[in-house]
Amino acid sequence: MAEELVPDWEDVARRYGRKIYNYAYRLTGNPDDSADLVQEVLLRVRKGLQRYTPGSFEGWLWRITRNAFLDDVRRRKRRPTVPLGDDDRGIGNPSPSPDEVLSSVRLSEDVQAALLKLPMDFRECVVLCDVVGLTYDEISDAVDIPVGTVRSRIHRGRKMLRDTLTWPL
Amino acid sequence: MASVIHACAVGELLSAYLDGELTRDELHVVVEHLDSCLECIAEFHELRDARTMLRTLPRLEVPDRALPDIHYGAELSAYLDGELPTGEQPVVFAHMALCEKCRNELYELDAARTAVRALPRLDALPDGSAHGRDGDANVIPLRRGRRSWLAASVAAAVLVLFVSLTSSDPQGPVLDLEVFSNQHVARESVQSPASLFSAELTAVDVSNP
Repeated sequence: MAEELVPDWEDVARRYGRKIYNYAYRLTGNPDDSADLVQEVLLRVRKGLQRYTPGSFEGWLWRITRNAFLDDVRRRKRRPTVPLGDDDRGIGNPSPSPDEVLSSVRLSEDVQAALLKLPMDFRECVVLCDVVGLTYDEISDAVDIPVGTVRSRIHRGRKMLRDTLTWPL
Repeated sequence: MASVIHACAVGELLSAYLDGELTRDELHVVVEHLDSCLECIAEFHELRDARTMLRTLPRLEVPDRALPDIHYGAELSAYLDGELPTGEQPVVFAHMALCEKCRNELYELDAARTAVRALPRLDALPDGSAHGRDGDANVIPLRRGRRSWLAASVAAAVLVLFVSLTSSDPQGPVLDLEVFSNQHVARESVQSPASLFSAELTAVDVSNP
């Protein structure tokens, strides 16, 4: 079996920065928090790469990402802030764009809103699968739950999401 | 529209079926079951729609402030030679448009490459020495005693080129990517959007087709 190539820190930033940002944004719906999370994860990766021993790099990276995210959630719970209203995020604002663009934007905003209504355990597995693109095994490794639980959470998460989105497709 | 509610145990396997995450035995059971169970077929379509919506969510760009200051020093020679994977070529090009450090480094690498490529070509003789091609007035026989001279001349050529290029602009070399790209021709013409974008920039020296 070929030896795992461990990327350097700049590689990680380049290859995974966008994925981490999308992961965080789809979990929180907040661009500023998501950008902060990318910075925090890259900082932790920079420190951790020296001690990283080849294994599942994706699993290692997503465990770091997840821990950084959970730490951030805990910190915010201790210091609650005023959440942004829908208008502040631009959701529901009329747009001068052409109809198809508008409907596309609304569709993604509706899906995002539906995602945010899922319980975090389900949301996380669904996002790691459908946004980040991890396999069930990789999700199991990153979240530290059995593959059967991953399978169940993804299935139930998608069903809940489908129930929340009420327009005919 | 609410999801179809029914009692089939197979329904629990439908998401994993969509994701290609079933075992061979489970796959067999699900495929057979979907032949006859209308409820599961309906649920399968709903799950597939939900999955499609999630997977077609726009992939957002990371705000600049979130990423560290990254340069492409290690990839620039491959970029220059058109040897980067097709998808990376436009990424490096886009970065170059914004990053003076990488532009300058690319400019220096190009000067060095030009100097090396301008060296006279040598033909090997049976006795192990080298001989210039007929009609090549610049040929330098590659003999042991001349290696240091050859190395010095290469270094001098690189230095002269670099100084002459940099001295024309007191601000240091500024790479005009358009001019730069005109010195090269596309090496490949893969019809993917990424390759179309990078085709003008795929750097291959026209003097050495």
